[in-house]
Amino acid sequence: MFKKVLIANRGEIALRINRACHELGIATVAIFSDADRQSLHVRHADEAFCVGPGPVARSYLNIPNIISAALISGCDAIHPGYGFLAENARFAEIAADHGLTFIGPKPSVIAAMGDKATAKRIMHEAGVPTTPGSDIVASADEALAVAEKIGFPVLLKATAGGGGKGMRGVATAAELPTAFATAQAEAEASFKDGRMYVEKLLVNPRHIEVQVIADEHGGVAHLGERDCSVQKPSHQKLIEEASAPALDPNLRDRLHAVAVKATRAVGYTNAGTLEFLVAGDDFYFMEMNTRIQVEHPVTELIYGVDLVKEQIRIAAGEPLGFTQDDLHPHGHAIEVRVNAEDPDNNFSPAAGTLTTVVFPGGPGIRVDTHVYGGAVVPPFYDSLLAKIVAVGRSRESAILRMERALGETRIEGVKTTVEFCREVLANEEFRAGGIGVGWLPAFLTRRAAVVS
Amino acid sequence: MSPGGEKAARRTRNRMTDDVIATRARALAGALAESGFARLRVRDGETEIELRRAPRTSPAAVAIALLSADPDRAAERPPDRAEVVSSDVVGIVRLMRPAIAEGQELEGDREVAYVETLGIRNPVRSRGAGRVSAVFVTDGQPVEYGQPLFTIER
Repeated sequence: MFKKVLIANRGEIALRINRACHELGIATVAIFSDADRQSLHVRHADEAFCVGPGPVARSYLNIPNIISAALISGCDAIHPGYGFLAENARFAEIAADHGLTFIGPKPSVIAAMGDKATAKRIMHEAGVPTTPGSDIVASADEALAVAEKIGFPVLLKATAGGGGKGMRGVATAAELPTAFATAQAEAEASFKDGRMYVEKLLVNPRHIEVQVIADEHGGVAHLGERDCSVQKPSHQKLIEEASAPALDPNLRDRLHAVAVKATRAVGYTNAGTLEFLVAGDDFYFMEMNTRIQVEHPVTELIYGVDLVKEQIRIAAGEPLGFTQDDLHPHGHAIEVRVNAEDPDNNFSPAAGTLTTVVFPGGPGIRVDTHVYGGAVVPPFYDSLLAKIVAVGRSRESAILRMERALGETRIEGVKTTVEFCREVLANEEFRAGGIGVGWLPAFLTRRAAVVS
Repeated sequence: MSPGGEKAARRTRNRMTDDVIATRARALAGALAESGFARLRVRDGETEIELRRAPRTSPAAVAIALLSADPDRAAERPPDRAEVVSSDVVGIVRLMRPAIAEGQELEGDREVAYVETLGIRNPVRSRGAGRVSAVFVTDGQPVEYGQPLFTIER
């Protein structure tokens, strides 16, 4: 087992990893930017190194300074968390070159899955259903030709994309050239990679993803699915659940089986997630995330497995501590993302000082957060302040528990998504279960109309 | 947690005050460089930071003086143009021979140290003549980004 792990991240996930390390008896090294000097993740770690100024390119993405901090503090492994360098194959390679274990899959697998078009081709070859579409298209004209062949509406996607960036839905041929240009420009600005591909746009599909885990000795298991269909118009997830409500048991079994098959096919190791779009009785592979996900707690709460500890154990060469037959979900879990955002203004991010911070507690509630009363929310980073997770025996009891928990939550100083999420939880269509990814944008449109 | 971990953790905490001052001073230096002012003084509790624009130098080379809020001690240490030289990278600091020492007069711009990051030498220069008024590091010490290395009075 590792003696000391560098946590190459910030915010709640840095604390999450710190906790897993300490429970395993591993010392931790935090990294931070000038803007995060007072952050909780710095205080919880055994050691901490400032790696740069506020902007991420010079701090949390500063590979030489991060690797150097790991080396001079005597670390033997690096946990990348999610975002930042988590899916950067080069970072994983550089870490290995310096004798540091990267807690995640092999760099070649990260690279293959990180390139969306390549990932789709590999999955298609492995017998995983994929959406009809193209490989890389060289121009808007070429994209148009593909769109006319598979039929509108289509989705233009950046192969390096993520978090909804570099992605545009297009309903008609007339809209395509402008949408292509803007999505490509966004991809170039965000990922320095403007390569685009086209795929059939499914109308209001559900976003259902399967958690998988694999050791370095051939052991593979899935930990069920999560429903992440409540997404903002930017395609960013807001509320996630495990298990997926109102899902045909047959379809569920097929999803799990395909996910395990795909995990073996790509030689995957460590924790990963296969994202699928589900439309009717069909499902299509969307992408594979080669890291721990933001919403992993809902899976942990119903399976009783600590995914971050498993990641660390697997990276240290240990076999999985369980087989598929040992894994049985109990109850239902739901997660609400508390973001420093204004839901009444397109979820525009807010920065400032948190004057009041009161989080909920009591039975069945878990809060993963890095903020506290008086904490400053810097303008440079993701707007996630906290994840509130509720678990109950049934979906209904988990939702009631979440409503109770959100009622206890008080965050003042910046606008947050807390009250907005209460509105969503109270909605009859959401309660019924089985909504698609188009539901929240439509809900927002209706809501704006009522307000005005 | 290993004993080494405890020691290093304490080191991080002990350094915090100086670090906070250095960070604020850097932020203020940016504000001063953008403004047309020649001098900027900010007071926060026990700490007072004064920055002056160095004569005939680029805006980046704004001089920094750290003063105590205590008037007696402030009188002891006149607000000379004392520039804090900090590390731009994370690595191991190596002092050039002969090692820089307090009270030493530097005659011009020279490489006084370097910070080694993944085998790469990042030179630390004196950026002109002056008297070394403080040395905060020893040879072979790990340093983080923004960590003060020494102070030079111009």
